[in-house]
Amino acid sequence: MRIRTFGGLMAIAVLCALLGAASAGAKSSKEAAGVSGLTIFAGSSMTTVLPAIDPNNTYSFGSTTSLGTQITNGAPADVLMGANTTETALLYSQGKCEKPVNYTRNTLAVLVPKSNPAGIKSIYDLTKPGITIDEAASSVPVGSYTVQVLNQMGINTAIQANVVSQETDDASVVSKVATGQVDAGFAYLSDYVIDPNQVSLITVPAWAQPKIQYAMCVVTASPNQTQAQAWVNQVLDSTSQALFVKDGFLPITAPVPTLTKLSITSGKAGAKVTLTGTNFTGTTSVTFKGVAAKFTVVSGTKITVTVPAKAKTGTITVTNPSGTATSSKSFTVK
Amino acid sequence: MDALITRAQLISRGAKGGAALAVAGMAIGPLVENAAAALPTMDLAYARLLVGAELLASDFYTQAINAANTGRVVTKYLKRAYANEQEHYQSVAGILSGAGVTPAVSTDITFSYPAGSFDTQKSILALANTLETTILGTYLGAVGGIQTTTLLQGIAQIASCEAQHLSYFTSVSGGKAFDLSFPPALTIDQASDAMSAYTS
Repeated sequence: MRIRTFGGLMAIAVLCALLGAASAGAKSSKEAAGVSGLTIFAGSSMTTVLPAIDPNNTYSFGSTTSLGTQITNGAPADVLMGANTTETALLYSQGKCEKPVNYTRNTLAVLVPKSNPAGIKSIYDLTKPGITIDEAASSVPVGSYTVQVLNQMGINTAIQANVVSQETDDASVVSKVATGQVDAGFAYLSDYVIDPNQVSLITVPAWAQPKIQYAMCVVTASPNQTQAQAWVNQVLDSTSQALFVKDGFLPITAPVPTLTKLSITSGKAGAKVTLTGTNFTGTTSVTFKGVAAKFTVVSGTKITVTVPAKAKTGTITVTNPSGTATSSKSFTVK
Repeated sequence: MDALITRAQLISRGAKGGAALAVAGMAIGPLVENAAAALPTMDLAYARLLVGAELLASDFYTQAINAANTGRVVTKYLKRAYANEQEHYQSVAGILSGAGVTPAVSTDITFSYPAGSFDTQKSILALANTLETTILGTYLGAVGGIQTTTLLQGIAQIASCEAQHLSYFTSVSGGKAFDLSFPPALTIDQASDAMSAYTS
């Protein structure tokens, strides 16, 4: 496990200054630096983005599976930020952490050395005899996703024959590829985006991509519950999400909307209807029996919509990128 | 036939009587019947690829129609082609769901196209030709690659439909409505790489 302790480095600097001044009764180094002091356990693909969100935490990066085991064994973490949803779900089921929350998504990628000595142009080239491949062990998320993709493409057996090494995390795969120890390796797209100068990217076909969701949870034993929850909220805010996207991650998927109530169930074209439900943020369309209507998202639970000129009697739908909600009652156009 | 009919309904009809399943259609019927069986790994891989191809086709036709840069007749054919692709999607997705695998849906893949692809009728038809050539080649490749022989009739029927799309869009672009005696089939890696050009 690699430990990057930005807060610790700052603490040392502040402490030196304080000692130099022989200042009795000085504030603690963390207080002096204004840090939150949280200990965050995170998958190694988070190495760059989390300190960019807040450099004043203590981060321990490693394989999600290993970090989860450490928390189970009592390691003093405040939050676990996994590279999958299974580890946090497992801890939640064991009462070791609070309810997990999805915070980002990722994409699997094939990375090759900048010089690309094997001339790899497609993931299918990895099936050729003599190619050397590095992958993560299937016990850690990135390795599990790799096997899933290769099985979905029907080429797992051919590619495993070329695997010469297995790592404990994606960062180790990137390192071996960058230094030319192997012809190719499986890692995340974010590993490439963070530093595109050290490796080249071969995309994994979209039709074979696994759904790579990342979930985080506040550790139940954490003495910093309030701060930890504040961190969770910070990770989900738009500023942090933009940093994830900048580093090659995908934005979190909006939940499918639900539509529970119509303010009126009949009206003429031009009438205003208030829709009540959930997950309205990000709504892309509202229709009256298939006829698109002008709408305003008032909040995550409320939309105001104008009955369109060509509306017909029928159900109302609300659609966002994740799905569509349909009213249980029909709206009658007078 | 009703493309929105569920796979369970189809199977239920099939169980109640052969005639009902026959009514269910020649394209979806054969695929759904076989979807319940365990399929070889490569057949599942092909099914995933075909689902991806149909999502690409549906996305393209949606954007082409919404661009509103085509004449009335061409728009009519774009809409019909879109409807065909929707039914094809239901069919090939049924192979996966019948085998206990969740098929990809439109929100799973973000497609992207060259700048200006939807600016004029000419550019839309040019891209339609390119995509339909790829999709036809993908289906023809699947006919040669899929091991479960009872899936082949449905796959071939879809390939035939895609060939009709290609023929129309080629001829309306000023090209030959048909030409090659044996249109090329794409291997799974060729098809995958060709489709990857349209994903971001």
